Amino acid sequence: MSSPLIKVSNLTVSTSDDNRTLVNSVSFEIAPGEAVGVVGESGSGKTLTALSLLGLLPRGVQATEGSISYDGKDLLHTDGETLRSIRGNKIAMIYQDPMTALNPVMRLGAQLIEVIESHEGQSGDATERVLTAFSDVGIPDPKRAYESYPHEFSGGMRQRVMIAMALLLSPELLIADEPTTALDVTIQQQILALVMHERRKRNMSMLWITHDLGVVANLVDRVVVMYAGRIVEVGSVKDVFTNPQHPYTAGLLASLPKASDKNRTRLVSIPGIPPKPWTVGESCAFSARCTRADDQCRTTLPILRDNSSTQAACFHLMGEKQ
Amino acid sequence: MFSSDGREAMTLAITDVTKKYKIRTTGAQVNALNGVTIVLPAKQTLGIVGESGCGKSTLARMITGLEQPTTGTVTWNDAEIFDKAKNMLSSKHSKIQLVFQDPYSSLNPRQKIGEAIAEVLTVHKLVEKSAIPSRIDELLTEVGISPDLAHRYPHQLSGGQRQRVSIARALASQPDLLVLDEPVSALDVSVRAEVMNLLIDLRERLGLTYIFISHDLSMIRHISDQIAVMYLGRIVESGSWDAVLENPRHPYTRALIAAMPDHTLVGNDLYEEPLKGEVPDPAAMPTGCSFHLRCPIAVPSCSVNIQNLREVEENHLIACQEVK
Repeated sequence: MSSPLIKVSNLTVSTSDDNRTLVNSVSFEIAPGEAVGVVGESGSGKTLTALSLLGLLPRGVQATEGSISYDGKDLLHTDGETLRSIRGNKIAMIYQDPMTALNPVMRLGAQLIEVIESHEGQSGDATERVLTAFSDVGIPDPKRAYESYPHEFSGGMRQRVMIAMALLLSPELLIADEPTTALDVTIQQQILALVMHERRKRNMSMLWITHDLGVVANLVDRVVVMYAGRIVEVGSVKDVFTNPQHPYTAGLLASLPKASDKNRTRLVSIPGIPPKPWTVGESCAFSARCTRADDQCRTTLPILRDNSSTQAACFHLMGEKQ
Repeated sequence: MFSSDGREAMTLAITDVTKKYKIRTTGAQVNALNGVTIVLPAKQTLGIVGESGCGKSTLARMITGLEQPTTGTVTWNDAEIFDKAKNMLSSKHSKIQLVFQDPYSSLNPRQKIGEAIAEVLTVHKLVEKSAIPSRIDELLTEVGISPDLAHRYPHQLSGGQRQRVSIARALASQPDLLVLDEPVSALDVSVRAEVMNLLIDLRERLGLTYIFISHDLSMIRHISDQIAVMYLGRIVESGSWDAVLENPRHPYTRALIAAMPDHTLVGNDLYEEPLKGEVPDPAAMPTGCSFHLRCPIAVPSCSVNIQNLREVEENHLIACQEVK
């Protein structure tokens, strides 16, 4: 593989006041042009991982260990000035709810102009570029959109505006945090088609955060599965989805109804709920819910290791005899 | 089933129901439901699928008697569900219960879950006062929650447990019909399966009839016997599971099925031809077929002709003139 665009090493995120670990020793790379999906349930640490890349962790939470190297810099230990020059420019992000990500009292055109000017200063063709950006993302009347406020648009159209804004300065990496979760499925399909098209056109890297396995199945090259703050499995989307090795990944996939299952077999449910990441200690976080768990799982932390299909952090891989 | 004959077998009958709302500020009229007709036999599960604004939750409110249809009737065993004289759910219909999407907002955060169930038992005078504690234990056990948790508050339970409590509460009046409005949509992925399994077990154990409303076709597919697909206040396709899912005929149903993300189809280019446009504003309904603006097979007359459901085969109805 060519040298990665971004390399996350041992990223650990904790609360500032009581030092509770929320993301624990997370490492992964994104190659130029590669799309990586981060899959996990609420509390798995997927969003905090993404926010760390942009130095956008919420108040009260901080990256305590590790590094995120990008273009010769460590994004965790760089100054605000440098981060601002990268954010929105080289690395852009789209969020689940455009209504909260867009400024409600500012016209959309002005919000996009602001992006250009904050990175490039006054630009004579800024208006033209914004109109082109609107039309590229399929906004029917770019001139009207330019003068509109966010509330005048539907959820799907607002999401298009946010994508236009994110792509405005041709970022190398687009981070997407569940941008289609609040949308209807036919609109979700439109947005995913748009993102796929733009990604191919620009050969842009992507980090796609979601709880919806179906969405990333056809969108990304590689999948990172997170559970209780750690990566439990990583591999090509095909390997992870068709030949999962971690019992959690396998359980998650088995819990979903399959369109091809005409007999509608009873769904496999995973008993219990995910533990809080900081309560796990030196054990496998999934051991309490895992049918394959033994004493080793409850006393030793499994680390990611290669297997025939993926890399998984488990002592008793699905492909191995029990 | 969905045909107009065979009425003797039916239990729930929704006949030509229309619901109009007026927007107070603009005076505009919204047609939330438009000529909806459903006949569902007892002990069957009807899945209603559609996107936001299609009227599926309005329909749930009609079936549970929370609101009155503007025109048309909703009957359960031939008795009207909404009591026009009292302007509320007919007292005969404590046998119809509603389970909401978000147990966090449907349970009182300051009420212990045992109390939440006791309240239902008391209000509807369902059991003797002395029998309330044992009935609470029974109901919690029924939904797979240890009776020891009766003294907990909702925030002390997981999302899945809270939804189980909502279901236990709905079961308190020993209902025949449960209207489940997006019952697993707010839950984490790994928890959805256990609630779906519980619903299927309860249906079999208690002989319940379900109306299962969801935007998620994969859940609808998993649990339903009959399916109705809604778009902008109308049913555009309905019929048996096989008919609607294995042989979908209406262009909207086909688009909806194609748009469903499917984790078993890795690497397929599913996003090539999405349905164009967005759902129109229900206050400014298109003329003719309400789907024609987005429809891949629309012809000019679709903007004029209103489409009514017609039978294309036994227990399979569609509202589209272009599908032969």
